Amino acid sequence: MKLLTAEESMKTCVRCGACRNVCPTLNITGREADGPRGRVLMARSLIEGNIPVNQEIKEQLDRCLLCSACVDACPIDVQVPDIVMLAKERIAAETETAAKTDIKKPAYPERTFKDYFFDHVLANQKRLNTVGNLLWFYQKSGLQTVTRGLGILKFFPEQMRQMERITPAILPPSRRKHHPEFTPSAYEEKEPRGRAAFFHGCIMDVMFRETNDNSIKLLSKTGFDVVTPNAQVCCGALHHHSGKKDKAIELAKANIQAFEEENVDYIITNAGGCGSALAEYADLFRDDLHWLERAKAFSAKIRDISEIIYEKGEMPAAAGRGERVTYQPSCHLQYVMKVKDAPAKLVKQISNSEYVDLPEKKYCCGSAGIYNLLQPKLANEILDKKMSRVKETESAVLITANPGCFLQMKLGVYREGMEDQIETKHVADYLMESIERAESAGKQ
Amino acid sequence: MNETMAPPPLNENVLSRLRSIFGEDRLLTNSTDMMTYSYDASFETQLRPKNPQAAVIALSTEEVSECVKLANEFKIPVYPRGAATGQTGGAVPVKGGIMLDLSKMNRILEIDHRNMQAVIEPGVIQNDLNEALKPYGLRFPPDPGSANMCTVGGMVSNNSSGLRAVKYGVTRHYVLGMEVVLPTGDIIVTGGAKSKALKSVSGYDLAHLMIGSEGTLGIVTRLRLKLLPLPVTRGIVLCSFERLEEAGEAVNAVFSSGLQPSAIEIMDFNCTKAVNMMKPELSLPLNNEAILVFEVDGAREEVTSQVNRLKAVVEKFTNYIKFSDEPEECEKLWQARKLVGAAVGLLKPGGFRVYGGEDICVPISKLPETLREIHNIADRYGIICGIYGHVGDGNMHTGPVVNMNNQLEMENVQKMIDDIHELAIRMEGTTTAEHGVGIVRAKYMDVEHGAAMEVMRAIKKTLDPNNILNPGKMALPN
Repeated sequence: MKLLTAEESMKTCVRCGACRNVCPTLNITGREADGPRGRVLMARSLIEGNIPVNQEIKEQLDRCLLCSACVDACPIDVQVPDIVMLAKERIAAETETAAKTDIKKPAYPERTFKDYFFDHVLANQKRLNTVGNLLWFYQKSGLQTVTRGLGILKFFPEQMRQMERITPAILPPSRRKHHPEFTPSAYEEKEPRGRAAFFHGCIMDVMFRETNDNSIKLLSKTGFDVVTPNAQVCCGALHHHSGKKDKAIELAKANIQAFEEENVDYIITNAGGCGSALAEYADLFRDDLHWLERAKAFSAKIRDISEIIYEKGEMPAAAGRGERVTYQPSCHLQYVMKVKDAPAKLVKQISNSEYVDLPEKKYCCGSAGIYNLLQPKLANEILDKKMSRVKETESAVLITANPGCFLQMKLGVYREGMEDQIETKHVADYLMESIERAESAGKQ
Repeated sequence: MNETMAPPPLNENVLSRLRSIFGEDRLLTNSTDMMTYSYDASFETQLRPKNPQAAVIALSTEEVSECVKLANEFKIPVYPRGAATGQTGGAVPVKGGIMLDLSKMNRILEIDHRNMQAVIEPGVIQNDLNEALKPYGLRFPPDPGSANMCTVGGMVSNNSSGLRAVKYGVTRHYVLGMEVVLPTGDIIVTGGAKSKALKSVSGYDLAHLMIGSEGTLGIVTRLRLKLLPLPVTRGIVLCSFERLEEAGEAVNAVFSSGLQPSAIEIMDFNCTKAVNMMKPELSLPLNNEAILVFEVDGAREEVTSQVNRLKAVVEKFTNYIKFSDEPEECEKLWQARKLVGAAVGLLKPGGFRVYGGEDICVPISKLPETLREIHNIADRYGIICGIYGHVGDGNMHTGPVVNMNNQLEMENVQKMIDDIHELAIRMEGTTTAEHGVGIVRAKYMDVEHGAAMEVMRAIKKTLDPNNILNPGKMALPN
């Protein structure tokens, strides 16, 4: 659990500047207000009532990616994203209650849609699956081809059009049934490396079902007995980050309960964003001692899939196709879960493929939820800079470790017109493919 | 948080000329931007922020020169700024005016490894430069604690240094030449306009007049730096002393044995306590007055033999000793010293670590006496503090910890800071060894320098007749 609340933490910043050189937005613009120190001061001034809520402060704070690189660099862990979030909550609250400010209220249908989506779709795997079915139908029925052909998409903002292009192919409903509740370690003759529960995520399990299937296979191949509890629900990160703390708590309790019953050594995620939310469950229960202890025990078991395989598992033989590979870390993974280079270390173990370090991999890729839609100009500048670094590596495969990063990198590759030169892959998919390649070569 | 009144915006004529130099995106005037240019890392600017009237982000020497010319024409103050990681308010706009942000002028222009030098822009971060030099087996040695975030331009303007100054000296020793925009907007190159020489006594040494002038005489826009080879490996000896005097004797004994450590760091009992609170697994001995950490560097065999010699010299003064010449183990031993700056804040629940009286330097022989005297001062005001620093050159960082909401403590800590600076001068030392003067130490300048202060003021007046460049600092004319 974090030592201090956001409100306590903002008062501890001595403005030493240790955060300056890791901030992706400051790196682009050089403007102090685009850096963590400036943001803490602006947010604190707003929270303490020294500056008014208006469009200017809202726009300044909206430019933060909430990537947490600054927290990692801070000698005293000032919780910049939490502080910025708290200020944004105050802005939202004031906007809701007072018409006297000059911030435009979000349109009514937009709010209703958001509330419905967060409370009833994300939090309900069945409904989310239905959305997945619709998307699958859109992609497979020819409707996608029709809309693209008719140019209907040109009526949408550029960012939306780009996102439509990079949405992954959804698996058909027949291949998105329940995961097996138990998958034994593939090491038949040896003791398993531990009993691991797999957290499949909400959107992840619909949009990236194949990656989830591969993750379970990979855990088994590297020596873990895997259970996938059916009672698990969405991690609640999006709810928490948009001020719906009650819903976040409700989801957290459901997950804690679901995983407690499985009696496992580890709870594994393959999405840095979910993993860091699960690892921080204790912060939701500061005032609830009974649940606090359970949350702490739950969070202590959270591991990223790469981390656990690197530390406790045993990678079987894996082979590439002679390609060069690079890795763009997930910010939540490297800065919140503190898993800095496990994915790269695993990729290095693959024969017949060459790993190269991505220069400036410390900077966020600019994905950060709906940042693309809110800050199109800055988001594109961040992405363009990232892609120029990717190109320097001359890699054919770009590894990611979080679905948001995956989509953003795919978007970057698409924008560069390099879709036939660079393949974007989740680390679990790349590892599993390489293992299967080595296996089939072994059989021949 | 206290708020000062924001100065009025600049007139539209000046703003439109600034817009034509920097474009719409790099001229900032809105109130939240002004707020974020009101501080550096000093305690003073936390209490009393100082807003500019406009901020500009420069990308080239020409832009800097145009901006300064404009400011000189309209007699508007200009405040050059790197990363604003200073402890003295040196880069804040005390008189409104234009904040000139140089942090985006951050290109490494040339690494001339055969001639052991590099040409860079002032906004390059110290660590980024060293990362870029690594493949060539070279480095830029000055190593302030802020190496991860401070700009080399800022280091030059403050003549900064760090814990390895005891062996490698300060920033001044590594500047061969520089391009400077003068307060008139004219551009000069010091150290020979086209020179690549590693040594030169040709003419007045203008570069060295600019170094440490804290942006009051000119704005550095390009630097030619001298480089050294990377040390192959390092070794550490950490030892603890029952009494401060024994630590002092140990340092003397090391120097007179002919050893030249690359760093000698001291931590007092409060720092030891704080580090143990932050990292209990380090379990440093608690009942002693001081810990010393020696570092040696060089080729592998040299380091092993230096570590053994060092150990033999200090053994008779200490009751606790740990050492290593293995990189991983060294890293662990070094951790105690690395953490101390952040850890001292833990000495008091809800405490805030104040940077004040944090940079005095006294002759090595007076170190034990000075350390005791600082604790006496702190006790007199009822303030808890940890003292650590670079004992090899007598430079000590005092970290008082206060509760920001306690008015009496806030007043007392200011008195304590004044007393520490006075103590430094009494001990035949200086008020600042590496952080600089800025606004926070301006009041001690006349006492410290006497008649020499008038010469400094005359130099300032000659180069900057309209007093537009970083005015209100270093006790120069107002």
